[in-house]
Formats: sequence, C-alpha cells, structure tokens
Amino acid sequence: MRVLLGILLLLSVSFSLELVSKRVKGEIPLDPFAEVWKRAKAVTVPLAGQTVTKPMVVESPVKEITVKSLNNGREIAFLLIWRDKTEDRFHLINQFSDAVAVQIPYIPSTEVPITMGDKGKRVLILHWTAFRQENLENGYSDVAKIHPNYAYDWYPHAKPPYRYPEDWANQYALAYIGGEKVFRKNTFKTPVREVVAEGFGSSTWKDVQTAEGKGVYKDGRWYVVIKRRFVVENSSNPDWGPGKTTYVTFAVWDGSSGHRGARKVLSYQWVKLKIER
Amino acid sequence: MGKFYNWQIKREVPYPYEHRRPKRQFAVVMDLNKCIACQTCTVACKTTWTPGRGQEYQLWNNVETKPNGFYPLGWDVKLMELLGEDQRWEGDTYKGKTVLDGTDTETVIGWMPDDLDWTNPNIGEDEVNEPVEVGTVLEGLPHPIWMFYLPRICNHCTFPACVAACPRQAIYKREEDGIVLIDPERCEGYQECVKACPYKKSMFNYVARISQKCIGCFPRVEKDLQPQCVITCIGKIRLMGFISPPEKAKRENPIDFLVHIKKVALPLYPQTGLEPNVYYIPPINVPLKFLRQMFGPGADHAVKTYMAMREGKEPELQALLHLFGSTDRIVYSFAVGRNEVIGYDKEGKEIVRVPLYEPFQVRPHKDERIGVVRQDIP
Repeated sequence: MRVLLGILLLLSVSFSLELVSKRVKGEIPLDPFAEVWKRAKAVTVPLAGQTVTKPMVVESPVKEITVKSLNNGREIAFLLIWRDKTEDRFHLINQFSDAVAVQIPYIPSTEVPITMGDKGKRVLILHWTAFRQENLENGYSDVAKIHPNYAYDWYPHAKPPYRYPEDWANQYALAYIGGEKVFRKNTFKTPVREVVAEGFGSSTWKDVQTAEGKGVYKDGRWYVVIKRRFVVENSSNPDWGPGKTTYVTFAVWDGSSGHRGARKVLSYQWVKLKIER
Repeated sequence: MGKFYNWQIKREVPYPYEHRRPKRQFAVVMDLNKCIACQTCTVACKTTWTPGRGQEYQLWNNVETKPNGFYPLGWDVKLMELLGEDQRWEGDTYKGKTVLDGTDTETVIGWMPDDLDWTNPNIGEDEVNEPVEVGTVLEGLPHPIWMFYLPRICNHCTFPACVAACPRQAIYKREEDGIVLIDPERCEGYQECVKACPYKKSMFNYVARISQKCIGCFPRVEKDLQPQCVITCIGKIRLMGFISPPEKAKRENPIDFLVHIKKVALPLYPQTGLEPNVYYIPPINVPLKFLRQMFGPGADHAVKTYMAMREGKEPELQALLHLFGSTDRIVYSFAVGRNEVIGYDKEGKEIVRVPLYEPFQVRPHKDERIGVVRQDIP
C-alpha cells in the first residue's frame, strides 16, 4: 500500500515531461562530449526505486537522470547523464555493473505499462552496461584479468570467453554449461543490448542486435550515449521515426548498491518524445 | 501463488508460483556414518561438469567437515541467524520462520556470499567441535568431542528458493524427475538464486556470466543411471532414487523405505521450508542437540534406529544399505532374500544382487602342505 501511494505521489508531482529529439545532419557520434550534443535540449527526469515487484529497491541512490536526444532521420541517439559516486565496470561474484536503459513502447501510447510493458503491449529496451563496455575496451573480464596472480592449470577445453570445442566428449556440458547462445551474448561488439519485453520477467534478447553506445565516467557522473536505427531490417521495430511522437522511460542500475535486474531505479512516467523531422 | 503443504515440517509454506508435485522426485540418501571425506564425489563432479573457466571454485558437490567447515564460508551459520532464535518445533510441526516467508521487499530471505567466501572449500577440515583436553577418553555414544563429514549437492527442493527468487523465471523444476535446472539462455547472472538458496548450491560463473548449479546429472538420470557423485563414492554411502510423498510411500522403494518407513534418513535443515530432497542418515557419534538443529526432530528416532541396526535388530534396513554403491543403475524397488538383497529396475527386472555376508574362509597360520607360516595378510 505504502508502495502504491509512493507511485501515485510521484505521478502527481511530475507533470508531463517532453523530450525533443533534435534533427541533425550526418553521422551522430558515440562520444558523449561531442559538440553536436550542445544543440539538444536537456530534460531532467526524476527516478525512484523499483517498488512494484520483488525484489525491490526502497532507497534510491540515484534521484534523477538528465536526457538529451538527437536524430538524423535514420538513427536516433540518447545522451543519458546521472550522478554515481562509484564507477562499477565489472559483473562478478556479488559485484554488479552500472547500467542504464531506455524503454520505448512498440505502439506509441501511454497505455503501455511502464513496468516493461504487458501481454500484447510490447516494449523495446536498449540496455547499456558498463561491464560490456569494459570487455570491449580493456579485454574480456576473464580469470587472468580479474585475478592476475591466480594460478591455474591448463584448461583442457574452455576457450575464453567461454566455449567448449565442438568435439568435446561431454556433449551435455557443451550444450548446457557453455552453450552457443551464452557465448554469443558475451561476444557482441557493442555495450548496448536490445531486448523486447511484455511485462516484468519477460525480457528477451532480440536475435538482431544493432544498437550501439558508449559510456564515459567523469567527475562522479556517467555520460552514456545509446544509438539505434529507427528501422532495423529483419527485426521488429517500434512505431517511431522522424516527425512522429512516442514515449520513453529510463532506468538506472547502480552496481555498488547491488543493483541488477529488478533491483533498479526508474522513471515512473512516460516522457513524451517528439522526434523532429 | 499460494500456500502448499510441506510434509517435512508438517505445515504449509507460501510459494510465489502455482505448485504441483512433479511426476517423480529426484532424491539421494547419504549415510553420514560412513563418509570419510575422500572427495572422490567432488572430483567426479568436477571433472564431469565444472572444469571450465570461471568454475575454478565451483563445487556442485562438496564435502565439508561439521561443525567447523563450510562451503561457502559460514553458510549454515548465516542461515541460522536469518531464521532467528524462533526456530520452534511443536512435535513434528515447525512453527518458526522459513526462508520462503520473505520480507516486504524480498521474495526469499537470503544472503549473498562474497567472492572470497567461496575460496576456502576445505576450511575447518577435520576440526572437532572444541579443543580436546589431554587425557580425554571417548567412551560410548554420542561423543563429547566430535566431528563428521557432510557431503552436499543441490537438494532439488520441492519448493526451490532459487525458482521463487529468479526475476526472469530462468530456473525451472522438471515435471519428469523434479530436477531443478537453470536455463543458461535466459539467465542474466543477477545472482538472485545465489542469494536465495539457503544451501548455497547456486553459484555464479563470472566468465560465462550466468549462474550454474548441480544438474542432478540429468542426462544420466534420463537413462535410468545414478549421478556421478553417487556411483563413484568409494565408501558406498549414497543411493539415488525417486521419493514419493509420505502418503504414497512404497515399502519396496528404497528411498521411501529409508525416509518414510524407517524414518532413518532426514532432510538437511528442514526449517528452510523448501522440502530439500537429499536425505541424510545422521552420524551417531554426534550429540542429538546438534543433530536436531540440523536435521529436525526426527534425529532422535533416526539415531535410535541406526543403533538398533548395529545390534542386528533391523535386518531389512541393514540389508538395504548393502545396495548403496552396488550398481550404477537406478534401483526402483528392492527385496531382501535369505543372504542377499536384490535391486530391481523400473520394469521390475533384477539389476543387482548383493550378498549380505561374504563366504568366510579360515586359513591356518601354518600351512602344513608346503611347510610355511602365513603372515597376517589376505
């Protein structure tokens, strides 16, 4: 009940926010400090802990996120800036990575629940994670990198990041422990993953992964750019594009607060996104 | 979502999903009086399933010394802390808190081990409960100075905490044999299962970035073969089979016989509420106070029955223990003959026949025929 009141309170204080995706010419750079971002107007969106489903985050370590958007007619990009005291770039045992996500409904409507959509009310989620970027920038966070002085024998079969050779005798280990899909998820050349969801717990990786991004941690803040084509061929796309209006919400994970999955902070309202023609 | 009956604690437990008992339930019985911590099971499991990167400290099967050994560090001490002082039993009914009771913000009451908590699997090995004074003599049972070995695998619980806690529904309990598995394709490595499992048998692989756990050797079980850890046990302390709920217990089913009929094999920390399906024959050298905390109020009866067996008063039970480690196939039913115990498969066909007493031969100290004296060797 207390939780519900909290949500209602949030909804009532936050009058409708509007984010304009500024139309620019040419390629949109992934660098969050590129000059072109100065042309976009910033909107600050309040964030609160996820208290709709268990496990919850009651105390929100991140209070707000500042958002800008650009588009060049073909691609749309978001610049996301939030305060975070610690830079968490690893996803290890009881150690979690910082992350941010943008959520877009397939059908531009505020009827779609902000709680990752619902049956028949699908959402696209573009999810940037610091640990994926760390892998791309500084090499895969393998045993040798995480524990440089760790002594280990020769691994007979597990090639980094994680795959058994196809002729490995225990075919079940091959399929169950180090399967192809796990390997694929760990070897994408982008720190942003594309996920579709129809409600909490339903998020699923898209087969086609095209979103790009880059995050920079500077002076206690994360600056993250997430970029995706409006229309990706051979994949499902939200109803969005130049001249159209849709809605977005945001979620932030603070790794050092133990955030992952449902433990996150999010914006409890759809932000109107006007995409300039 | 609802409340479901847990026969181990004789009451209902809350569970976030609709619950139906599987058609068959994977179960293992381990006789703790016989475990010598040789770790053959650990190595068998390790070489089969966890020799890869990021699995260096994953022991789906481990053997720890009680009371001072833990893998991960302090797992059961933490569990006792979480369940609090109010772990009351009224007769066979548990009245205290279970981990499934959750909190306002968490589905399951749990705690998260740190990286280093996993790196001392042999901590406390062979240590006894307290310092031994010079001149101490151990007479009679239980011993005032004691320790025992506790081999552990995933309990493939009837109400798995890992399934309840996973926000992605990436963990499932199989209808056909009750084995609990993590779907590696859906798992995103949130480690909610690691936090939730009170037995700490879900582990995170930071290289594959998914959580992994004992899979009950399901490819073997599907072929009616017992798991690696069971068949390699040199002490023959283990038997894998399928357990029925108590009201459907069958005397000829070896697991049912040990758990339901003789009540000599007990669940580990039944107060978790999860209905764990590895059953332990408690060690008779250990004081009952500790055994009751660890295995519930059935400990007294189990120890008494085992002691009686040692005096030859439980011939059927004694015979059944001979089936442990006698075959790599799953024994669905057993029968005791005059000097043998027989194990049968699903169709009732005989798979193994074990003599209860080996033929006894006496060889004289001096062999008159060749004029030599034999030393005391076989």
